[in-house]
Amino acid sequence: MQWTVILKKELTENWRNFKWLWVPIVFILISIMDLISTYYMPIIIESAGGLPEGTVIDIPMPSPSEAMLMSFSQLNMIGVLILTVMSMGTISGEIKSGVYELILAKPVKYTNYVTGKFFSYWLLMMVSLLLGLLASWYYTNLLFGELALSQMFVAALFYACWLTLVIAIVILYNTWFKSPGLIAFLSIITVIILTVMTNIFGHVLGWSPAKITEYISIYLHTGDLDIEIWFSAIVTLLLSLACILFAIVSLRNRAID
Amino acid sequence: MEGLKIIQENLAILAPLFVLQLILMVIALIDLAKNEVPRGPKWVWALVIIFVNIIGPIVYFIAGKRR
Repeated sequence: MQWTVILKKELTENWRNFKWLWVPIVFILISIMDLISTYYMPIIIESAGGLPEGTVIDIPMPSPSEAMLMSFSQLNMIGVLILTVMSMGTISGEIKSGVYELILAKPVKYTNYVTGKFFSYWLLMMVSLLLGLLASWYYTNLLFGELALSQMFVAALFYACWLTLVIAIVILYNTWFKSPGLIAFLSIITVIILTVMTNIFGHVLGWSPAKITEYISIYLHTGDLDIEIWFSAIVTLLLSLACILFAIVSLRNRAID
Repeated sequence: MEGLKIIQENLAILAPLFVLQLILMVIALIDLAKNEVPRGPKWVWALVIIFVNIIGPIVYFIAGKRR
């Protein structure tokens, strides 16, 4: 099938430029860094010195769910940033270098081209996210106390919806602009605007994609899945789908120009 | 001796962190060695990758190649 060929081409490319190695490693590192530094904070402060004799250092250790949330907040910043910059040139770069014309000189469907690219990055994101959160879960259990593995997986799946949207946005911008830098910049601005708008109008935008992280924190603390998180996830996935469809349409229109 | 003891006790916690950083660094260096169109001089990248923890390799992977 054509689609699998394109997917395979993308996977090979991402394997050859080491994306399949460095992205998961970076995701793992950013997920566990905060946990480890929080755990060692008392020792670090003690050995850094400068405190008068007899100072009592009392930093409360986070609960397991709070520790897990530290990873999520790191992923929400650095993880999103890395996702955008790693996929910023995926279509625009090919348009620029002429590979795009080479590919589409063959009877390749735009739908296959775009979804193949999207899916290859989505797979990379899923693997990285799961590995990162698994590492974070392991360290949480080791350092801060028990947290059910199933709870982590459910949280990870909902969080994956949010990152899916991020990739879809990047792919959409890829079909609009040629400069990878501009694409990364606009994608990040879009994500920030979405988050800020959700923070300001949170009471109205209960189903906003940016709310997923908030619902995940509730879920990790209480263990109950709010009905709202489902709506948020569905809205997020629909928005991603819309972005992808829009990307296919704009690429098709671009060809006509 | 107390310092040594702390390190020994915490090796299991810290080792993965160091190993991952090391792998990241090595991959970046391999990629740099194969890179035929680096953006900027190769030795500068090598220094950045080796001496800037974590961020160095990431920056190299993102910005080190000319397409």
